[in-house]
Amino acid sequence: MLALRLARGSRLLVQLRRLLVAAASAGVGFLLLCTLMWAVGHPEGALLRLLWCAVPAAAAVQLAVAVARTDPGTRPRPGLSAIGLGPVRLTAYATVTTAASCVLGSLFALLAFWHLRGDGSGLPLDGASRRLLAGNGTVPAGAVVLLLAAVPVLASAAVACALRPSVRERAAAKPGTTSAPAGLPWGVALTAAGLAVETYASGGGDRTPLPLPGRFEGSPAGVLGGWALTAVGLALAGPGISHLCGWLLQSARPGAVRLLAGRALMSQARSIGRPLGVLCAVVSGTFAAAALYGPGDRRPYGVLTGLGAVLVIGCALASVLTAAAEAVHSREETNSALGEAGTPAAVLRAAAGVRVLALAAVFAPLTWIVAELAAAPLGR
Amino acid sequence: MVAPPDDDVLWARSVHCSLEGSPALSGVSLGVREGHVLAVRGPRACGKTTLLRCLSGQLVPQEGEVWFDGHPVHTLSRAQRERLRAERFAWIGPEPSLVPELNGWENAALPLLLRGTSQRAAKAAAMEWLERLDVADCAGRKPAALPRHRRQRIAVARALTARPTVLFADEPTASLHASDRAQVLRTLTTAARSHGVTVVLATLDEDAAALADHCLPLVDGRRADAATPEAEGQEACSLSV
Repeated sequence: MLALRLARGSRLLVQLRRLLVAAASAGVGFLLLCTLMWAVGHPEGALLRLLWCAVPAAAAVQLAVAVARTDPGTRPRPGLSAIGLGPVRLTAYATVTTAASCVLGSLFALLAFWHLRGDGSGLPLDGASRRLLAGNGTVPAGAVVLLLAAVPVLASAAVACALRPSVRERAAAKPGTTSAPAGLPWGVALTAAGLAVETYASGGGDRTPLPLPGRFEGSPAGVLGGWALTAVGLALAGPGISHLCGWLLQSARPGAVRLLAGRALMSQARSIGRPLGVLCAVVSGTFAAAALYGPGDRRPYGVLTGLGAVLVIGCALASVLTAAAEAVHSREETNSALGEAGTPAAVLRAAAGVRVLALAAVFAPLTWIVAELAAAPLGR
Repeated sequence: MVAPPDDDVLWARSVHCSLEGSPALSGVSLGVREGHVLAVRGPRACGKTTLLRCLSGQLVPQEGEVWFDGHPVHTLSRAQRERLRAERFAWIGPEPSLVPELNGWENAALPLLLRGTSQRAAKAAAMEWLERLDVADCAGRKPAALPRHRRQRIAVARALTARPTVLFADEPTASLHASDRAQVLRTLTTAARSHGVTVVLATLDEDAAALADHCLPLVDGRRADAATPEAEGQEACSLSV
């Protein structure tokens, strides 16, 4: 109850982030239910569709962790510590809050599913997708509960792991470290290897254990493997690239703005670079996937594919925004100290703007290049 | 302390200020002569920090006036006060609030860099002050790797590198051990005196006040040495418990 009471009193932006988690959970829940009903009708090939749902589910779980990490309610606070609510119980609080948001989303997914299937309430869209969602008429209740519980359980477990007091202490012990993250060489190597594998595999034969949507004729397992490698590589390289951005910004006799912006970027490279790398991978993957579709496809673009894509992109984008909010929050103390020392607020704003511009200037072309390279063999 | 305002570089007249509804300062007047060290002494919650924030233009008092160098501070806009703080004032807080990503000399040179000084000149000035304050060996290290008293010295160096007219030090030794406390205070006041910097020093202990030219005792937002109105507050204090 305390969790709900604390959650109710928090700020609008925080509530909005929790609502995003609920929306992601609802989207994934709805996708899972649709897959279930399709599987009831067509038992063969259902496993593959269920596996595809793992991608949006992973995105939703990642978003839940990012939101929980930045939730001001889950940070140790003197007021709560005084009444015995220390770091350990705050982890429990964060887990409960995440579970509550996700369960809310799952319930909404169930309602939407019931309504679109035709519950006879007479509201608009009642039974709009009866053909898609009805299956052969029976709804396996156990399977529905299991699938709807998947995201809340996974997200809560991930939050409990990510916000363990020991992990937090380690993160808080090193303020202002500007040493380079280690992943850059691995990331670049994996990205390059992934693109190479994809290009090589796209020239292969027509024996397809994993049929891709659209009109793709190459070896899809290899292409998917290549994509996965590229995505992992970009996520690994993200912090290193952000750090490099910061290093370039503050090199060569910087003034105050460049110095502050560059060093801040270097110290935040780990927290902001990872989600940026993921977003970069997702966006370039989307561009490449768009190259698969064309007129006269055997497996055309459907509503559910669209929903999945929107979920994945939305979660990646929301994670970046959440990480950015966390970065802003973590600078508050330093900025107020700088303000006391007479630093004009305009300088601090300029430093923040320069950081954003530098990141955009590096990550936007990078995304474009990876997307072009990934799409080139597919469009042939 | 009864010098006419014309001799004072910084003076305040009957400053009233309340923070979030509770009165912090009620009618404080003071004046500081150029190059002098004024200690504002008093127990916790007596309004020392609020007084310093009002004098340095971080806060605008609800009533009363603050004048610096013959110009009113309380009527300036936020941007003008910000510029005044950046160009003429310096501030040392109770915590050595350095920028964690910058190393020692970069922290000390930051005020100069903010004014657009070239990096070479800023570094030379910062290194000079770090040497004078005996922390030149910390120039290349991050604040997180340094003990607290060395960080506080870098904060002192940062304040002095800017060559301010007035230096506000809000309990600069609050978080230090006794031995470090005396040393930091002595270096601070000596450096200020030798460069003609006016210092307003908020402090809890009497030893620190002994280093100052003048002392302003503050109790519950009032000057304790001012002629108190007769038996004011006696009624309010006689609570039956």
